[in-house]
Amino acid sequence: MARSSKVAAAQQRVGLGFVSPSVLVLLALVVYPLFYGFYISMFKTNLRNMWNFVGLKYFVQALSDSDFIHTIGVTLLFAVLVVAGNLLLGTALALLLNTNIRFRVVWRAILILPWLFPDVVVAILFKWIYDPLYGLLNFALTSVHLIDHPIVWFGDPNLAFSAVVLSCIWKGYPLVMILVLAGLQSIPQDRYEAARLDGAGLVNQFRYVTFPGLVPVLAVSVILDFVWWFKHFTIVWLMTAGGPIDATKVVSIDIYRIAFTNFDFGRAAALAVIVFFICLAFSIVYRRIVRDTEV
Amino acid sequence: MIPKSSPRRPRNRLVLYVLLGVACVFVLVPVLWMIVTALKPETDLFSTPPRLWPTAPTLDAFRRVFTDYPFADYFRNSIIDVVASTGISLVFSSLSAYGVSRFKFRGRGSFLTFLLISQMFPSVMLVIPYFKIIQVLGLYNTYAALIVTYVSFTMPFCSWMMYGYFKSIPRELDEAATIDGASPLRTFLSVVLPLSLPGIVATAIYAFITGWNEYLFALILTSSEDMKTVPVGIGQMIGQYKIQWNDLMAASIYAVVPLMVLFVFLQRYLISSLTAGAVKS
Repeated sequence: MARSSKVAAAQQRVGLGFVSPSVLVLLALVVYPLFYGFYISMFKTNLRNMWNFVGLKYFVQALSDSDFIHTIGVTLLFAVLVVAGNLLLGTALALLLNTNIRFRVVWRAILILPWLFPDVVVAILFKWIYDPLYGLLNFALTSVHLIDHPIVWFGDPNLAFSAVVLSCIWKGYPLVMILVLAGLQSIPQDRYEAARLDGAGLVNQFRYVTFPGLVPVLAVSVILDFVWWFKHFTIVWLMTAGGPIDATKVVSIDIYRIAFTNFDFGRAAALAVIVFFICLAFSIVYRRIVRDTEV
Repeated sequence: MIPKSSPRRPRNRLVLYVLLGVACVFVLVPVLWMIVTALKPETDLFSTPPRLWPTAPTLDAFRRVFTDYPFADYFRNSIIDVVASTGISLVFSSLSAYGVSRFKFRGRGSFLTFLLISQMFPSVMLVIPYFKIIQVLGLYNTYAALIVTYVSFTMPFCSWMMYGYFKSIPRELDEAATIDGASPLRTFLSVVLPLSLPGIVATAIYAFITGWNEYLFALILTSSEDMKTVPVGIGQMIGQYKIQWNDLMAASIYAVVPLMVLFVFLQRYLISSLTAGAVKS
């Protein structure tokens, strides 16, 4: 009895010893700035000489501001489309890569490539491809006579939005593909054998073995990817800076502008807090799913 | 990589290769266009229709990146920021991951939950407080500003990856060392850590890629050319009056190549460890 409690005490002491450096770092670098962000959101401030307490004014304002609601709508649509694209493409390609093909390593290496491109490079590369006068896309489309005149991709709200979404899918699908590939490999072989013995063809094998086996991975991918793209900034900012007429103004761009162009840091911080709560809601769902699948 | 299903009929196989081929075209065409553009002399840049191959391919753009722009500085800064933050992140995350994987203590569960949830914090939420805190600490426009920031980004997920790896190392090894009289820290350093090299490598690549790609914080926390990083340097080339696409593409290639080299040599470690957290194997 005395011995086991001594062991438990030792576990407690040593465990905390190993973890405490990280805990201190996280408190200083993550938790404290988060709370400080909440604090800033309650002031009208330029972060220098003006600190006027306004309480929750900016939160109330944001939730009744049709511009902000519109921005959230644009961001949601952007995130949903990018995630849907990533998921469809990532899953399809993972399934293809998981078949009995030659040169699998080469195919996989090529298909993972976009994941290694920094966001800045993706943005600039596609901006160049979409260039109305000298871009590859207009050239290709006119060469095959799909269009007569060059299209100004970033001049039209819908085209600009689609162009940005496609660039983001180009960058984003490989991560889903990697996760799904790993998920496919974790499905035990004998389930396929059992299904074949029961006379299941390829379609039914997919329906009754592959798909159910992938559900946990897909669920985790959806939520991680959604939060990731919901808060995305770089590609959209460098391609369109939110334009034309706010068609691609995702919430990160809105916050960045309010803070670092208008120097209205309090309001920007309040919007950031709202985004935080949206992401937190998703993270709770995520946590639940991870727990449920950890059987 | 065990093949799961093999389409029996040759026609199915053909469809497979065609689909994969189409996907690869969509990946490779932009990449090739980047390379072709970087090889173009300036006169080819603004020709309509665009030339698919330069009239006289030249490597001038690759040289100009370093002579006409301060890219040598950007590279030095990126390497300092990213290597330092990766190193610091690895030290802290491997200690905490070992603690969580081997010992039962109060707060263990909350710590793990926090690691997961911190993945959800929007970076725009932290950028405003960081902007102020870094200034108050006198770190604005220094290496320390970005090193600190990148540690805060990468440490939670690095801890999670290392935790996944340590769990896969049999506890009996630790116990044997403890019976031989080694302290927990000594056991960790001389028994577990050397066995964890693949996990450490994977975690390091993850942290490196994250830092190397980061744009927003570098944009906000640095101001002078001799402190900016590669992504910020590339990003501001596009704001210029006349965009020199060949120089821009050459700079982009320089930014991608280090990651490709890392990846080619170390992909096996990275993929298995990245997915260990998300997938139960």
